[in-house]
Formats: sequence, structure tokens, C-alpha cells
Amino acid sequence: MIIDLNASVGHYPFRRLSHRSPEEVVALMDRHGLDRAVVTSLHAVFYRDAHQGNAELHAAATAHGGRLVPVATVNPRYVGWERDLAEATGPWKMKAVALWPEYHGYSLGDSAGRAVLAALAERNLPVMLVQRLEDRRQRHAWDRAEDLTMATLLEAAKQHPRLRFLLVNWAGLDGARLAAAGLKGRCLIDFARQQVLFRKEVPKLLATLGAEAIAFGSHLPFDYVAPSLIKLANLEHLPAADHERIAWRNVAEFLGL
Amino acid sequence: MNHNRREFLRRTGAAGLAAVSLAGRGRAAERAEGRAARGSTGLPAGWRTLRKLDAHNHVFTPVQRPNADWAEVENLIEAADALGIERLYCSRPLTGGVLASIEAVREANDSVLAAMKRYPQRIAGYCFVQPGNGPAALDEIERCLAAGMIGVKLYNQFKFTDPVVFPVAERCIQHGIPFLGHSGFLTDPRALAQQPKASHALDFCALSRRYPELLLIMGHVNGGGDWEWAIKGLRDCPQVYLDTSGSVLEADTIERCVRELGHRRVLFATDGTLEGGVGKILAAQLTTEQREDIFWRNFQGILQRRRT
Repeated sequence: MIIDLNASVGHYPFRRLSHRSPEEVVALMDRHGLDRAVVTSLHAVFYRDAHQGNAELHAAATAHGGRLVPVATVNPRYVGWERDLAEATGPWKMKAVALWPEYHGYSLGDSAGRAVLAALAERNLPVMLVQRLEDRRQRHAWDRAEDLTMATLLEAAKQHPRLRFLLVNWAGLDGARLAAAGLKGRCLIDFARQQVLFRKEVPKLLATLGAEAIAFGSHLPFDYVAPSLIKLANLEHLPAADHERIAWRNVAEFLGL
Repeated sequence: MNHNRREFLRRTGAAGLAAVSLAGRGRAAERAEGRAARGSTGLPAGWRTLRKLDAHNHVFTPVQRPNADWAEVENLIEAADALGIERLYCSRPLTGGVLASIEAVREANDSVLAAMKRYPQRIAGYCFVQPGNGPAALDEIERCLAAGMIGVKLYNQFKFTDPVVFPVAERCIQHGIPFLGHSGFLTDPRALAQQPKASHALDFCALSRRYPELLLIMGHVNGGGDWEWAIKGLRDCPQVYLDTSGSVLEADTIERCVRELGHRRVLFATDGTLEGGVGKILAAQLTTEQREDIFWRNFQGILQRRRT
């Protein structure tokens, strides 16, 4: 069993993705043996009214019977976001909320960011922070977003000590600093941009944060899936229970699936 | 957690197969076989034992020095063992746009030579040169080739259209050796400001038109920068090869390379992203012959053209 923590559906404005629709994404999952994927809506990132993307995602997830685990997107600078949050995580049963401060024009530390993070903490909903969608060195002229930084993350963790974090598509994470910021036990990190062999970022995170902190992630459909399957295969020396945690159980427990 | 190579191999059950550095093709395949029985969900059967030559990698640390720390090189070999990469073709470029002295260049190349000596069947070398060093750069190429290196690596000190580069290209032609060039079409202003003289596809095309007999390899299609632009830019330059390395693992890259350039111009490489580099070739929609050509046969053909 594999659950992919790092996946999305929809069009991306700056590059053609071969697998865009929910059906295409599920077909891609089938091809690579992925049982379920935790998905965000790219449309929700780029629509002015993000919640329209949530509605699309809810319909897609419902149509695919549990294969796609939807994550809501909330833009705290948009009118009525609290009601949207309530709908997405209430009747639509979305288990986490993605924030895109770089795309929606705020920071996690300003009034909008603090308000939405506090609302998630109050509801015990994990926040998903995607460090980046693409490498900035190839950015489109209209793409002005920057990567989220470790400093931003640590400050948010400090300001919201009960909030749980899904850290998706991150590189450069320092496990010791995350632990020192109190994130051990309240964050889950996918390994799409971390190496098991050679640079050994994954073993280092395992050593500092434990097997409960790491999850399979591929960043599909932006990236090829096979690199992450190779990493999972290269972790087979771990105790079976830890390997299972990384392959799927951590995501299932973190999100209450 | 212990991250050293011996412990890793012990825990993976591969230590008996991966004891030391004497692996050639057969040994690399054996090592990978030791893991092949383990689960590889979603990956093609036997993927670890497919033959692979990594056309673009690096020795990043100064291992030529006494009491050097070999951990990073050992980690590189460990990863190659696990992934079934038979040989790593490495250089140690001096980065950051530094117009390095010939002494610094020699020291950098000495680190690659030290790694070649320690792992003679696993690490081969490209000679890094800084063309601004003039005749001394050409002498350095001769020194490196005499010591067993197989090609030349240039970084971003000069655009490859700059005449200062031409003697280096001519020396490569003389020896029939590959010229591997750092590349990137950087659309991010800050990235471009950091390496304003990085060459892109059209620079490679210009050099290739001047020297059509040059075995010219454009490095790391996925090394940062607009890879779609890079591939399209090479379409009318049939003499230029393209390597697949880089930390970017974006889907369709390999299929686009093959569709636009033909698979015989595409060379498997990792540039330090070993799991990702192997994974994208496995994931790409290719025929068996195309995959084998990209993994090793195309680059072997380049190496067989050497006259030195």
C-alpha cells in the first residue's frame, strides 16, 4: 500500500502537465501502483475565488471513491473564507487545508496569515505548506512567487504551538531545527525533494524526527513518480513497521483516514 | 542513526557483494542484484540491474589532500552500487564564476584523479579547465588525459561562443574526447545574475556549427532553467548531445528530449541526483532499445571515438 502525500490535479498555467484531470491523475497512480493520493487543486491556487477549486476537487474526489484525498485551499484575503473553510472541512470532509501565501499575496506572519493559522489550530486541522510548485530558475515572467523558507515555517510553528503541519515538496529541511521548534510529532514531511542515498536527507530526518515524520510523496503530476518509488525501495532496510509508516500509515494516521 | 556506507550495506544485506571498490560491470550488476529481490512497487522488474553509465557527476570534496574525508565519495559509490550505475564520469568544476588560477584548477582535477585512483572501475574523470588560463589550460588537458581522464568539462566562466573557448574545443577534437558544458536558460533574474555567462542551447548550437566534429554535450537539461526552451533550442543542432541530469524531475522531460532530438542524442546522467536521475529514465515512455541507448549505449559510443 502506498499513499502519496504530494499530488495535485488541474491545469498549471505555466507548463503543460500531461496528467491534469482527476481521471488522468488516477490513471497515473494506477500505472505506478499508488493506492491513494492526497491532492490539492491547482485551480484553487490560481482562481481568484479559491473555493471554486475546492468545489471541483470535492466533486472529483467523490467520483473516485477514496483514491483522491482532497485538501482544501483557503485564501484568507478573500471575502468569506471562514465560511468556505467550514464548508470544505465540514460537509465536504476535507482533512487538511493548504495555504499558498506566495500566490495569494500575504505572509504567514501577517494578520491574514495569523488569522487563518489560528483558525486551523482551533479546529485541529493540519495546514499543508507546499514549499514550491516549480524550480524558480525556470519561472514564467508572470510567476513571481518565491519558495517558502525555513524561517517562515519555524516562526509559524512558534506562533501556533498546537498546529500540525504537512510539509510538502520541501528541500533543505533541518530536522534538528524542526525538533527544536517543537515540530517533532506534529509535522509530516514528504520525501519528493529529499534523497535517501548519497545526500541522505531522508535518513537524517529519520534520525532527528523519527519514522513517524516521513511520508511517501512524488509531486505528481509535475514530476515523475518513479524517483520516489526508488527512494521507497531504498528504505526497505528499515523495520517493516517503519517502512509501512512511510509508505502510507503516517498519512492515514495524520489525516485520520 | 549511523549513515556510513558499511553500516548501510550491512543493513541492506548487500555488504558481502559490495565490500570494496573493485566493481566493474559484472560486480555492479551483482550488487544491484543483491537488492533486486526486494520489493520495488511500481518499478519495472530488474530495474536495478539495467546497465547504466552516469555521464555527468562530480567529486565535490578535496579528497586529494592528506587525511581527506572520503565520506561523500563513499556515499556516491554506495548510491551507484544500489542503483546499478556501473561507472560515474566525474569532474570538479570551480563554481561561482570564479576565474580560477591554473593552480586551483590543477588542485580541483587532482581530487578527481584521487577518486579515480581509489575507485578505478567506478569513477572516471573529466578535466575541468578555465579557458582564461590560455595555454596552461591546454597543458592541463594533456596532464589529465595522460592520467586517464576521458573528456573535458567547462563551467560558466565564459560563454561557449567566446573565442577564448575555441582552443579548448579544438584540443577536444584533436583527441576525439567529449566536451561537457554546464548549461542553463535561466529565466529568473536573480539566478541569471549569479551566472551571467552560463551558456544555453543556442550557445551550444553556435559552438557546434563552428566545430561540427566536436563531441559536444550540453549538461543537465534539468539542472535549473527552462528545460523546454533548452530542448527546442537544440532541435536544429544535430551534433549536440544532451544529458538528462539535474535536480529537477519534471515529467515529460525525457519524452520531449526523445521526441524533439531523437533518443540517440540523449545521455543518462544524474549530476548528484542519483535516485531521481535513474527514476526519470525508468518512468519515461520509452522502448527497451531507447532506454538502453540512453542509459549507456549512446555514451559508450562517444567514449569509443576517443583517439587518446
